[in-house]
Amino acid sequence: MDIILTALKNSAMLTGQLLLIILPLTISYEFLKHKQKTLEEKTWRVFGITQNGLVPLITGVIIGLTYGAGVIIHSIRSSNMDKREAFLIMLFLSICHAIIEDTLIFVVIGANGIILVAIRFFLAFIFTYFAYRWLFFKKS
Amino acid sequence: MLKEKQKNYFLNNLKKGLFNGLSVTLLMVKVIIPCYIIIELIKHFGIIRVIGNFFRPFMKYFGLPGEAAIGIIAGYTINLYAAIAVLSPLKLSTKDITIVALILGISHSLSVETPVTQKTGVNSWMLFCLRILLSLLAGVGLNLIWTLF
Repeated sequence: MDIILTALKNSAMLTGQLLLIILPLTISYEFLKHKQKTLEEKTWRVFGITQNGLVPLITGVIIGLTYGAGVIIHSIRSSNMDKREAFLIMLFLSICHAIIEDTLIFVVIGANGIILVAIRFFLAFIFTYFAYRWLFFKKS
Repeated sequence: MLKEKQKNYFLNNLKKGLFNGLSVTLLMVKVIIPCYIIIELIKHFGIIRVIGNFFRPFMKYFGLPGEAAIGIIAGYTINLYAAIAVLSPLKLSTKDITIVALILGISHSLSVETPVTQKTGVNSWMLFCLRILLSLLAGVGLNLIWTLF
């Protein structure tokens, strides 16, 4: 019985810590969602991703695939981009998404956040770049 | 009139954000508490050592104790909160947790996120396999780098 009580107490504490991270995040997501249209429009053609792809890309990196699903699916479908670009975006997002939430919840239990973010961005850029080059050659 | 509108906009966003946050927390609690209790129980009865010994040969490539495998499996199949509930009572070192976090950061909640990738029209099986493969490779890589420096 004692074990269950300590487990309950500890898990409640963990939940409290996570709540402190999640509430500010979900609130700022709402504000971000409305700001989305004013995002800077930069061309970023190195990876075969154009302005159309920037909205789902940034949404995914910041918000994540679970909560950002609506925006990501809608913006990829409505902008009728080609399959190749959609694949590159999803590849980048697979490796590097929900960068704030994922990192912070592991920092709570003692991970090194800077290493995590750095490696995920690094891998995402590398893989997207190579996939872009490879698919590009295959097509031409 | 304009000020009123801005105030409404602000309050609406705040309310929606709070509501979303609380519903996420509710989901989280439903996962965290059972996982935490189960782990504490199997720790108490020594079952965790059996599981740990079973996974030790696989986990040594990641430089992780065998028990961490439970956390990784929970993260892959359920979600990150389940993984955290499992990992938190294990009291791992910073290095171990960072490695697990990298593995799980790249691929987690596959049951939820694979359908999302599918709906964008991208080959989701390929991404699914790629994510698992890549996460394992990243774990091995980070372990190598960390032990080198």
